[in-house]
Amino acid sequence: MSVLSAARAAAPLNGTVPSLRRVARTTPGVVVLVALAVVVCCAVAAAVCVADLNHRIAEHNTVLQRSEPFAYAAQNLYAALSEADAAAASAFLSGGIQTAAMRERYQQAVAAAAAALTDVTAGATDEDLRTAVADIAAQLATYTGLVEAARANNLQGFPVGSAYLREASALMQNELLPGAEQILARDLAAVDAGQRSVGSVSTVSIVLLSLLLIGTAVGSWILARRTNRQFNLGLMVAAVCVLVAITWIVVATRLAAADIERSRSEGTARIEQLAKARILAQRARTDETLQLIGRGDITAGEQSFQAHIDELLAQLDAGPPAAVSGIQRWTASHQKHVQAYLDGDYPAAVSQAIGSDPGASAAQFGIVEAGLRDEVEKTRAALREHVSTAGRALAWSPVGTLVLLALAGVATVLGLWPRLKEFL
Amino acid sequence: MNARVVAALLAAVTLAAGCSSSPAPPTAVTVAPATVTPAGAHGITAAPARADEECDREASLRPRSQPAPGAMPSGSTMAAIAERGRLVVGVDQNTYLFGFRNPSTGQLEGFDIDVAREIARAIFGDPDRIDLKVVDASQRESALTSGKVDVVVRTYSVTCERRRSVAFSTVYFYANQRILAAKGSGIDSAADLADKRVCAVTGTTSLSTLFAMEPRPALVGVATWTDCLVMLQQGQVDAISTDDAVLSGLNRQDPTVEITGPPSLAVEPYGVGINKDHEDLVRFVNGVLEQMRADGTWQRLYDRWLLGLGPSPGPPAARYQDP
Repeated sequence: MSVLSAARAAAPLNGTVPSLRRVARTTPGVVVLVALAVVVCCAVAAAVCVADLNHRIAEHNTVLQRSEPFAYAAQNLYAALSEADAAAASAFLSGGIQTAAMRERYQQAVAAAAAALTDVTAGATDEDLRTAVADIAAQLATYTGLVEAARANNLQGFPVGSAYLREASALMQNELLPGAEQILARDLAAVDAGQRSVGSVSTVSIVLLSLLLIGTAVGSWILARRTNRQFNLGLMVAAVCVLVAITWIVVATRLAAADIERSRSEGTARIEQLAKARILAQRARTDETLQLIGRGDITAGEQSFQAHIDELLAQLDAGPPAAVSGIQRWTASHQKHVQAYLDGDYPAAVSQAIGSDPGASAAQFGIVEAGLRDEVEKTRAALREHVSTAGRALAWSPVGTLVLLALAGVATVLGLWPRLKEFL
Repeated sequence: MNARVVAALLAAVTLAAGCSSSPAPPTAVTVAPATVTPAGAHGITAAPARADEECDREASLRPRSQPAPGAMPSGSTMAAIAERGRLVVGVDQNTYLFGFRNPSTGQLEGFDIDVAREIARAIFGDPDRIDLKVVDASQRESALTSGKVDVVVRTYSVTCERRRSVAFSTVYFYANQRILAAKGSGIDSAADLADKRVCAVTGTTSLSTLFAMEPRPALVGVATWTDCLVMLQQGQVDAISTDDAVLSGLNRQDPTVEITGPPSLAVEPYGVGINKDHEDLVRFVNGVLEQMRADGTWQRLYDRWLLGLGPSPGPPAARYQDP
């Protein structure tokens, strides 16, 4: 039974092609075909353009609500870990003086690292990233254990305490920090990819709309030949609507792209640079304190310190000036500490490195770190502001495109209806 | 017949339901425990550089008539030091009992430091007129040849290779290479080390001695002796082997280990390092050491610092290359 009905349904289908040709030979048939073609094209173009624009807006939301906060958390994780390492070394060195304050700084840094780790975990969706985060969590627990072993031995006056602290620092420098650096790099890459897809050129939309525009022109030309009327008002209105839609999309995406470009050059790239600078400063600080903890040859430590400072200054070509001048005063103080150490005046070297004198290394390093941290915050705010502005430029474009293309479709139908009616 | 169909249907339905209701769980992340080693720790498989040349390494220059403190012969190296007002000495601050920083006073103390003070006393009549410069083991020769320091008193083993670039005083202390291992580890001789992991500082004569052992233990080289103790405490190595003076300092920091093995795997003679061009200073320092041996000063310093190594063997006898 069903086989029979299928055969019956197939019969008119077999005649479709010749009947379409027949329809195209009659003027009302042409009018209907042009109207149908323009309306279908409008619908397809509207669907594609709106999907593309909505996708951009969704990406912009992802950047603001997910990838940028995750990258910020990763940056915080890296900074907190390096600060914990520098603070552990200072607290160890301080022995009797200032232990409470320095130990508190270490504990604060560990807590900040744990908090940042939680935020980073929220952004870790794929298995690789989750494994990297789990590695850091396991290593951080081991690290704090080693720091406490160092402290317990130091309290008893055993030099092996310093060996435990150096082992902890090696774990930090060789495992924890490179792991955190990887996470930061991946998160920043995600931000960059999101930014690029917000600001990319919408080729498909513009090509489709241009084809639609050509379609209405061709339709007008066919109708003009068949109906002896110069212009069809409906098709004219449709063409104008499409033209406005094209202009809107081009202008909105170009404006967004300009904002995105600024958010990348003034934001992402700068944050990467500042994060690197912050880490270099902490590493140089760790070099400086480890020299005093090692109590041996400082040649290798000095080379590492100088290399970190040189790289740091190279990263800070564009300021901030407070940090740059802080680095100069810090290295001057560092030279005094090295001189005291080489002269065998160990207590003077320690007090130059970690003492509370405002001209000494600890205070100057504090100025450098605070300057960089503030700059990171400022840059972050600028990045988010630019991405936000890009989002505002795009905000009404999907609705606008939809309305304009709907108008184009309606205008086409309304414009062609009187031509069709002449034959009914 | 129907019952069989129903049963088969039921089975199929149960199977289908079972399949669809247990999707594979998302993979849980697993990580290995964090592994830690001291920075720079590495397995030693290549022979450490060691000069095998033969020489009478312990023979030094015989002292001449010893000038009184404050009356150095004019034109001599000692007169130049007296002129400057202070004796500049290269020392260590990391070897417990020989040259180390007392955590409670922040001062450098130890057997080596006191020997240096005796030299200052012989020049100025005042043991405190010294400048202590911290030099690393690998910098000892360059500090002397560049004139940065006048003398180096820093657990400085006399070797034929070193004698080619610097001069040494007579031997003021004999150290013996021994073994430090956990109590009850069963390590009691060099042969017991055969299949064990043994730690030593890279570039030391102790490491060369260990490398030459037959059969050779698995060797780990690190940067400082306390790194070895960390690895021993963390179970990463089974034993440490070096001079008893160093091992005794490590043993003081951990009551669960003990110095064991034969009385001496190798003998390390410690001498005062001096610039090769300053023969007069070599003779003068040898004169100071003679006096320390004779008047009981050496014994007093041993009793103050090194009694933990065992009863005093007495000061080492001086050997001279000239009559």
